[in-house]
Amino acid sequence: MCAFRIGLRTSLAAGFLASALGVACAQDCQSKVAAAELTTPGSLVMSTNPTLPPLQFVDTAGALKGMRIELGTEIAKRLCLKPEYVKIEFDAMIPGLQGGRWDMINTGIFFTPARVKIIYMIPYENQAISISVANQDKGKVGKVEDLAGKTVGVEIGGFEEAKTHAIDEALKKEGLAGLTIRTFDTFAVAYQALKAGQVDAVTSIDGVAKEYQDRGDFTRAISGLYPAPVALAFKSKALAQAVKGVLDDMKKDGSYDKLFAAYGVPPFSGAFEVHGPDL
Amino acid sequence: MRGWNWAGFFDYLTNPYLLEGAVTTLWLTAASISIGLVAGFVLAIMRLSKFKPFFLAASAYIWLFRGTPLLVQLIVIYTGLPQLGVRLSVVASALVGLSLNEAAYLAEIIRAGIGAVPAGQSNAARALGMRDRQTMRYVVIPQALRIIVPPLGNSVNGLLKTTSITSVISMEELLRRTQVLIQERFLVLELFVVAALYYLAMTTCWDFVQRAIERRFGRAYEQIGAEVEQR
Repeated sequence: MCAFRIGLRTSLAAGFLASALGVACAQDCQSKVAAAELTTPGSLVMSTNPTLPPLQFVDTAGALKGMRIELGTEIAKRLCLKPEYVKIEFDAMIPGLQGGRWDMINTGIFFTPARVKIIYMIPYENQAISISVANQDKGKVGKVEDLAGKTVGVEIGGFEEAKTHAIDEALKKEGLAGLTIRTFDTFAVAYQALKAGQVDAVTSIDGVAKEYQDRGDFTRAISGLYPAPVALAFKSKALAQAVKGVLDDMKKDGSYDKLFAAYGVPPFSGAFEVHGPDL
Repeated sequence: MRGWNWAGFFDYLTNPYLLEGAVTTLWLTAASISIGLVAGFVLAIMRLSKFKPFFLAASAYIWLFRGTPLLVQLIVIYTGLPQLGVRLSVVASALVGLSLNEAAYLAEIIRAGIGAVPAGQSNAARALGMRDRQTMRYVVIPQALRIIVPPLGNSVNGLLKTTSITSVISMEELLRRTQVLIQERFLVLELFVVAALYYLAMTTCWDFVQRAIERRFGRAYEQIGAEVEQR
């Protein structure tokens, strides 16, 4: 048993660390990732925006929780690195990765051809777009056309925002009224605005919209739109390849499928692969 | 290292979408400072009033709005008030939040300005038979305005930049539009430099306006100064 030194950047409670998949001591193994590939030698610094329960969120005690957090912690452990999380808004993720602020984006960033032109990505999770509405509007929205003329909130800068624009264009093409799109810094504020009746709907992902529906907060009116893989993202190609190796191992020993099953998220169907500017 | 992208920089410097964002920032500032000035003036007079309820109401308002973060005020107005049945649009929420906050600060600036006019001035006015209201209108306020302008200029300058906070409630001002455009090509440094230049251009323009206002209210003193020198 040895203690972890918790950096200021991490907000992981010690209790969580101890419980998270039996984290091993950093001294026990030598990391295969060269120090030059990391922003902080000995640590895997990951960025996440913890406003997406049950995938990534902060519990009432302030500890980071969720499927993606557990996955990131396990990856760090298997790389013999100390897991560190930076909680930050989504629109800062790619600039921060490029600027050497963190090593890996672990916030469920969607895999897109535009993004792999500038960073390395490993698709590892299937997600799709959902539309949440207030509970009193249950039954009023069942298909995309029902959104015509409505005000829709979404987090800025992500796949969800891009697809909200796609819905707007699709509606206009059909000759219907488009959307009024409101962008917020986080999904948390977008959902607050929905609760307050400031927006008619929020664009989110299937897993999150389902969680809010299960909790009874919001109704998931539409789901399964624009299915696309979600990825882990890197600036360093060597680190991306090392993480791909970890994912392959986790798939082989069953821990990957076990983790996804625990959260009811369908596992990624294909083989793990690193995509990037030169790959 | 990707280096500095000049082509991207000039593209964004003349981007109409970004320019519109700067215009939003500008009118939001102008509208908030105007409403804030009127409200701040009323608050300052109330605070100087000998009528206790006025004094207490104004003091409580200033205490509340200067004592809580604008960010909190904005989110409460936008997502909290609807719970009580008051639903303001994004633009209205931004305008109300900025104006209410600004009024509290401006009230203190105006009160200080009025307080800085020597008591002898109002005594003399009264000796000439002026009523309280006339004393304020013709003697105290014209002199107070001259004192108020420099700190007021500070407020306008500060507010111009503070409007960026309204992006949290999805107000599409200069900063929010900069963030939107960054997602396009990730020219982070280039875009933020463009946004900074826009802000600088606006604050520089305000500097000129402020100098002009200061000259306008300082006219009487220039003449006196010149006369003193001649003697």
